[in-house]
Amino acid sequence: ALGAAEGLAEELRVAALPGDLPELEPECRSLLAAFAEGSAALAGCLGRRARPVRLCQGCRGHYRRLLAQYGTIAAGNSSESHNCAKSILTSDRLQIVVTLSEFFNETWEAANCANCLKNNSEGLSNSTEEFLDLFNKSLTCFEHNLQGQTLYLSPNNYTEVCKNCNETYTKLNDLYNNLQRMNRQGGEAGHSAHLCIDVEDAMNITRKLWSRTFNCSVPCSDTVPVIAVSSFILFLPIVFYLSSFLHSKQKKRILILPKRIQSNASLVNIQEKYS
Amino acid sequence: MANVAKKVSWSGRDREDDEDGRAGETTPLLNGSGPGAAGGARQLTPSSFLRIGQLSNVDLNEDIHELQTELPRQRPNEIPHNEKLLSLKYESLDYDNSENQLFLEEERRINHAAFRTVEIKRWVICAMIGILTGLVACFIDIVVENLAGLKYRVVKDNIDKFTAKGGLSFSLLLWATLNASVVMVGSVIVAFIEPVAAGSGIPQIKCYLNGVKIPHVVRLKTLVIKVCGVILSVVGGLAVGKEGPMIHSGAVIAAGISQGRSTSLKRDFKIFEYFRRDTEKRDFVSAGAAAGVSAAFGAPVGGVLFSLEEGASFWNQFLTWRIFFASMISTFTLNSVLSVYHGNAWDLSSPGLINFGRFDSEKMGYTIQEIPIFIFMGVVGGILGALFNALNYWLTMFRIRYIHRPCLQVVEAMLVAAVTATVGFVMIYCSRDCQPIQGSSVAYPLQLFCADGEYNSMATAFFNTPEKSVVNLFHDPPGSYNPMTLGMFTLMYFFLACWTYGLTVSAGVFIPSLLIGAAWGRLFGISLSYLTKGSIWADPGKYALMGAAAQLGGIVRMTLSLTVIMMEATGNVTYGFPIMLVLMTAKIVGDYFVEGLYDMHIQLQSVPFLHWEAPVTSHSLTAREVMSTPVTCLRRIERVGTVVDILSDTSSNHNGFPVVESNADTTQVAGLRGLILRSQLIVLLKHKVFVERANLSLVQRRLKLKDFRDAYPRFPPIQSIHVSQDERECMIDLSEFMNPSPYTVPQEASLPRVFKLFRALGLRHLVVVDNHNEVVGMVTRKDLARYRLGKEGLEELSLAQT
Repeated sequence: ALGAAEGLAEELRVAALPGDLPELEPECRSLLAAFAEGSAALAGCLGRRARPVRLCQGCRGHYRRLLAQYGTIAAGNSSESHNCAKSILTSDRLQIVVTLSEFFNETWEAANCANCLKNNSEGLSNSTEEFLDLFNKSLTCFEHNLQGQTLYLSPNNYTEVCKNCNETYTKLNDLYNNLQRMNRQGGEAGHSAHLCIDVEDAMNITRKLWSRTFNCSVPCSDTVPVIAVSSFILFLPIVFYLSSFLHSKQKKRILILPKRIQSNASLVNIQEKYS
Repeated sequence: MANVAKKVSWSGRDREDDEDGRAGETTPLLNGSGPGAAGGARQLTPSSFLRIGQLSNVDLNEDIHELQTELPRQRPNEIPHNEKLLSLKYESLDYDNSENQLFLEEERRINHAAFRTVEIKRWVICAMIGILTGLVACFIDIVVENLAGLKYRVVKDNIDKFTAKGGLSFSLLLWATLNASVVMVGSVIVAFIEPVAAGSGIPQIKCYLNGVKIPHVVRLKTLVIKVCGVILSVVGGLAVGKEGPMIHSGAVIAAGISQGRSTSLKRDFKIFEYFRRDTEKRDFVSAGAAAGVSAAFGAPVGGVLFSLEEGASFWNQFLTWRIFFASMISTFTLNSVLSVYHGNAWDLSSPGLINFGRFDSEKMGYTIQEIPIFIFMGVVGGILGALFNALNYWLTMFRIRYIHRPCLQVVEAMLVAAVTATVGFVMIYCSRDCQPIQGSSVAYPLQLFCADGEYNSMATAFFNTPEKSVVNLFHDPPGSYNPMTLGMFTLMYFFLACWTYGLTVSAGVFIPSLLIGAAWGRLFGISLSYLTKGSIWADPGKYALMGAAAQLGGIVRMTLSLTVIMMEATGNVTYGFPIMLVLMTAKIVGDYFVEGLYDMHIQLQSVPFLHWEAPVTSHSLTAREVMSTPVTCLRRIERVGTVVDILSDTSSNHNGFPVVESNADTTQVAGLRGLILRSQLIVLLKHKVFVERANLSLVQRRLKLKDFRDAYPRFPPIQSIHVSQDERECMIDLSEFMNPSPYTVPQEASLPRVFKLFRALGLRHLVVVDNHNEVVGMVTRKDLARYRLGKEGLEELSLAQT
C-alpha cells in the first residue's frame, strides 16, 4: 500500500503545473493522496464483500478512516496558513472528492450499517454479534447434516436437516424478528426501519435455504375446514335475503291525492302533449 | 251557498269575467281594518274557510266535475315503494327573508357598527368551523388507525399461530366474528338512535343545500353517531371509507356553531343569535361541507368547488371567500394536529385523511400518446360505474321494500361484515402470489403459505384499511402485484363495495370506488406494459391513479370538484388535464346508462329535489296546472279559534298561509296582503298576542324578532300550545308579523318561469294570483319537483306518505 501511495504522489507531481505556479500546497497534496488511497481501499472492500453481503463487518474500518480523511480536508486546519478545503473541494466544476465522499456516505446510509455497529462504530453491537453467532451455528448445522448427501441431487429429501436444525433456525428467526421489532420501536427517533444489510442478507440466505432449498417450512393446509366454514358464512346472506323477501311485509306507500285542478287528467295531458 | 266562499276562490279563467265587475267595489274596502273588521269576521265559522274549495264547485267548469266524479275511484291507495314518488316527510327550508315590521324595526335599531360586528362574527364562525372539522377528522383518523391496527395485529398473530399448527378455520372465524361484532355496534347505533346518519351523508347534505329540510340531518346527535359509526364501520373491515362522512360532519359542525346552541344538549350559549335563520345557516353549512372535503382529502380548493357544484344554488363571492377560509383552516388544523401526533411537530406535510402520496418521479410523467388511453380508461370507468349504480339501485330498492326494520338492518350489516372478512380470507388463502418483504412497507405482512421472508401479496390489498390499500396500489413498485391477484381483487371488491353502500352504517363510497379503480387501473397499466414490451411510460402507478379517477367519476359523476380534489390530493397540477378528460368521459358514458349514485339515492328516498333547470319540454305547463288549490287563507285579523283549527288539522299540514284582507262584507273578494308562516303563528299563539289582550294591558311587552329566532329551528307543535275556550274567541292581528310582500306569479306563468323564480330565490311558498290579486293557488317545492324528464318524456311523480 505504501508503494502505491508513493506512485500516486509521483503521478500528482508529474501532472502538476510548473513550479513557479503552485496549484496545490504540498500539505494539501498529501491529504489528497491519502484520500485517494482511502477511497480506493474502501471501494475495493465494498466490491469484494458484495456477495454474500458483509459490508458492515468488513469495511467499517476503511469507512471510518475515509471519513476522518475527508474531515481533515474539509476542516482545513492541517496548517494555519493554507486552506485545503477551498483548493481541493470547490475549485472546479466536477468536485470529484465531494462526489466520491457523498457516494460512500450514501452507500453506507443505504446499507444502514449504523444499525449493527456500536454507537461509536468501534465494533459490532452485542445483538449483532449474537445474531451472527447463531447464524454461523445454523450454517454449521446445515452443513453437518448435509454430509453424506449431495445438495443438488435429491432436492426433496432433507427431512433430517429439517428435524435437526429446526431448533437453531427457529431461534435465529425469532431473534431476527425481535431485532426487527425493537428496531421499529426505537426507529421513530430517526433511524429508518431497516436492519443493517449484513443481518438482513444473512437472514435472507438462511430463510431461502430453509424454505426453498430444503423445503422445511411446510405449513399445514387445512383446506376442508376453511371451505366448510367459509361456505357456511357465504350461505348466510342468501338465507337472510330469501327469508326477508318471503316473510317480511313489503313496505307500502300510501298515495296522497294532491289538491289540484285537473289533478288526474294532467298526466294524460302531459303524455298527449309530448308523445 | 256557493257565494259564501269568497276568501279563497278557485277563479278559473271563466270566472274572472264576472269578478271584474266587482273589483271596483273591493278597492275602497281595503282600508277597512281594525275592530270593525274583526267584529265582522268573528261571525264566520272556521269551516267556511277550510271547505271553500268544495263549496264553490257550482261555479266550476267540466274539469272539476270530472275531478269530482272520479274522486271515489282515485281514493288514496297503497302501492309498493318505487322511484317515482315524492315523500310528504320532507319539508322545504325557508330562504326567503320575511320582511315584516318587526324586521324593519330591528334593522332600524341596529346601526352600522353592529352590522360590521355581524360580518366579523361570520369570519370567526368560519374559523371555528374549520378548526373543529379538522379536529374531528383527526379524532377519526387516530382512533381508526389505532383500533384497526389492534384488530389486524390480533388477527395476524392468530393466523401466524395457526399457519404453523393447522386450524386456519379458527382464524377465519375469529376475523369474521371480530368484524361482525364491531359492525354490529356501529350499525345498532345508526339504526336505533339516528337513522339519518347512515350512508355517506353527501346526498343528505346535497338535499339540505338544495333547500330540503331532512329531519335531524344537522343535529349534534347525528354528528356523534356519524363519527362513532364511521370509526366502527372502518374498523369493522367493511369496504368503506371515512372521507365521505367528513362532509356531513363538517356540515353538522357548521350548523351547530353558527347557531350558538345545541338543542340536543339543551344548551344555549346566547351567542350568534343573529344567524338563527335558514338563510344564514345554509351559508354556514356550505362552509362546513367544504371544510369537511378539505379535511378529508387535503383539498381546500376542491372543498370550495364541491360546495359550489353540489350545493350552491345560492352563491356570492364573499361567501366563496369565507368558505375558502374555512377550508384552509380545516386542512391546516388537521395537518398540525396530525404532525404533532406523528412526532414531527409543525411538519405540515400530511394535509388530508387520505394522502395519495407524491407523483413526481420521472416515470410518472405522461405524453400525448397516452391521452387516448386515458380516455379509454374513462369509458371503462363510466361503464363500470353505471354497472355499480344499477346494481346498487336494485339492492337499495329491495332494502327499502323488505329490509326496513332496524333489527333486520343490523343483521344485514353484520352479515356483510362477516362475508367481507370471509371473502378476504379465502382470497388470501387461495392466492399463491408471494412477494419478498422490503423493510416495513407492508403494514401487516401475512406470510401464510409463502416462504419465510415473503408475504402474501393479496393480503396487502385485503388485509388492510382501504385507504392504505389505495396508496399501496398507487405507489408500490412495478411487479408488486401479479395480474391474477389484481383481477380477482377488483372483481371481489366491486361486488363487496356495491353491496355495502346503502347498509345502515355510516360510511363513504369514495375510498372503495378509488380502490376498485386503482386495482383495475393498475391491472390495465401492467397489461399495457406487457403489450409495449415494458416501455418506460407504462408505469402501473399512474394508470392506477387514472383508473381510480375514472371509477369514482363513473360512480358519483362529480366533475369540476372531483378533478380539483384529485389534483390536490396527488399534489400534481400536470395531472389535471388527463384527470379532467377521464372524469369527463366517465360522466358522459355513465350518464348514458344511469344517473349518479347520489342522485339515485336522493330519488329513491323520494326527496323533492329541485335540479338546476325545469324539465326542458315543460313550457306549455302553466302555474295554473302546477299549483295546489284551494289554498287555506287567513284574514288579516283572524279569530284565534280558526287559526288553531287550521294549524291542528292533520290532513293539511301546511306551512305558509296567504293573508288576505279581512272584510266586514263577506260577499266581497279579498286581495292578497301578505304571507305568514306556521312557525310565526305558533310563536304568536304561544305568546298570546291577541288584540283583546293588547287592549287590556297597555304596558305589555312587544314581541320582538328575537322571540321568533329563539324558537328556531324547532318550533313547538301546535298540540303543545294550550288555548282556552275564551281565548279561542279572541282575535289575532297578523299585519305586523306577516311578510307583506310575498312573491307571486300570475296563473299563466309557465312552469320553467315559476321554477326559475322558485329555485333561484330559494322560496318555500309561491302564491299564484289572478288579475285582481286574489289568491288562486300556491306553488310549493313538491309541486315543482314532481315534474321530471324520464325516458319517455315528461313524467309526473305522485305524492306519498312514507
